[in-house]
Amino acid sequence: MDFLLHPANWDLTDPSSIPYLFLDHLYITGLTLLIGLLIAFPTAFLVVRYTRLNLPVQTTASFLYTIPSFAFLGFMISITGFSLATILVPLIAYAQVVLIRNIVAAVRAVDPTLVEVGRAMGMNPFQLQRRVVLPLALPIIVAGIRVVAVTTIGIATLGPYVGTQNLGTLIYDGIYLGRNSEIIAGAILITALAVTVDLLLVGVQRLLNRGGQVALA
Amino acid sequence: MATIEFVDVTKTYPGATKGAVEHVSFTVPSGDVCMLVGTSGSGKTTLLRMVNRLIDPTSGSILIDGQPITARDPIELRRSIGYVIQQVGLFPHLTIEENVRVVPSIMGQSAKDTQGRVDELLELVGLPPAEFRSRYPRQLSGGQQQRVGLARALAADPTVLLMDEPFGALDAITRGRMQEELLRIQTGVKKTILFVTHDVEEAFKLGDQVVVLSEGHLIQMGKPMELLISPANDFVRELVGADNVLRQFEYVPVTTALEPVTNAQGATIGAEAMLLAALLKLVQSGASELVVVRDGAPVGQVTLASIARVIRKDGAFAGKTGSEAGVTSRA
Repeated sequence: MDFLLHPANWDLTDPSSIPYLFLDHLYITGLTLLIGLLIAFPTAFLVVRYTRLNLPVQTTASFLYTIPSFAFLGFMISITGFSLATILVPLIAYAQVVLIRNIVAAVRAVDPTLVEVGRAMGMNPFQLQRRVVLPLALPIIVAGIRVVAVTTIGIATLGPYVGTQNLGTLIYDGIYLGRNSEIIAGAILITALAVTVDLLLVGVQRLLNRGGQVALA
Repeated sequence: MATIEFVDVTKTYPGATKGAVEHVSFTVPSGDVCMLVGTSGSGKTTLLRMVNRLIDPTSGSILIDGQPITARDPIELRRSIGYVIQQVGLFPHLTIEENVRVVPSIMGQSAKDTQGRVDELLELVGLPPAEFRSRYPRQLSGGQQQRVGLARALAADPTVLLMDEPFGALDAITRGRMQEELLRIQTGVKKTILFVTHDVEEAFKLGDQVVVLSEGHLIQMGKPMELLISPANDFVRELVGADNVLRQFEYVPVTTALEPVTNAQGATIGAEAMLLAALLKLVQSGASELVVVRDGAPVGQVTLASIARVIRKDGAFAGKTGSEAGVTSRA
């Protein structure tokens, strides 16, 4: 607790103080989700459209997910060195399996009657996706994003091992300097971040679930 | 206003050996309610879904106001045709107001433009706008949801309305009420309505024309009375219950039982009334005859005996549709 409460660690002129590490952590998580979704959305829609792609896509995503994170990071160092990409690429890769699987399931769960009604009323394919499929699938998709956000926040703590600082730096330093209070501070902050992000996303999910179309857990 | 014409329409689904619809031709005059009746698998829903091109026919063509629908952009075509289905299919994530204005909205009209129209439609289907506008479909009963479904189908003022067993999932009382409502609304909007049902009572109650389908073929088309009086075959006879005397009383008009007027001072009944009404009036009033009046002029009279002659014991229909003319000339 003394580490967590020490004013020096909250010094805004120091770029490695807790507030900055916090922002760094948020940044890498946000970036992972953003790029991850940019990849997962079109991929998932292709899988829904062309069922044949389902097996190869899901298999590849699952395979990526099984690579041990330390091995993945070591491999990435040989390509991207000690840059942001070294931690970012594995995080995005790990996110795919949950994101794709979730988007596919969410889109498939949309009541075909509603899609048919939209078509019968004269919606063009874009309007059908934008006005019917997406709004009905989003609450479920956000459930997947919640899972990915929390795991990303966790795995990102390995960042300091490959040259990217974030809240994981507290744990990394704590281990090397033998300062338990710093490890505990890091753990508390990371958990707090994960819980906060998760709760925020629950709020987003509630907002998206207008009219209570999906029974949320 | 729109006339719908089916010209030798056939639909064979891939892999099927026989057509779901085979060589069906008929015309629905503008402003008519045409009921498609048949057993499951008779092709009535397939026929309906070909009109807004959810399905395209294998051969033959469908014309709206003389123009083949294949000549039109399917999306534009669908926007000019209202669609109501048994499952209602309201969008659960949209409010009632948003549901009603879906078609105007996809055509680019703003919420402000359609506000008045939405309220007008909700009034029309009997849902007070102030109370229902902002609710979600889940908060409505089945009957109320189908009212919204009807309002939604009418939103862009289509000329044609396609209804696929719209009241099939409702309880008997609500269904009856909705049928009355549809008739009331139709007298105001005069759409050309194609209505699929397997309920013959519903077909007779709502239909100007009834089309009987079986295994993809059109068996008979005509006014409810015509199907009762002269069913084309045993299938139609059984389906419409032509042997059912009560049904004949209900749907056969008094003009089929006319005889020359003997007592011009007697009680009167309108020429559009059915035998059942005449029978009840005769029994209740104790009169021995009723003068049948059309546009203020007597066209003949009916008596218990003349009605009895029409409906013979064996259920076969003795009268002729055009007998009225003969009677008046004699009178």
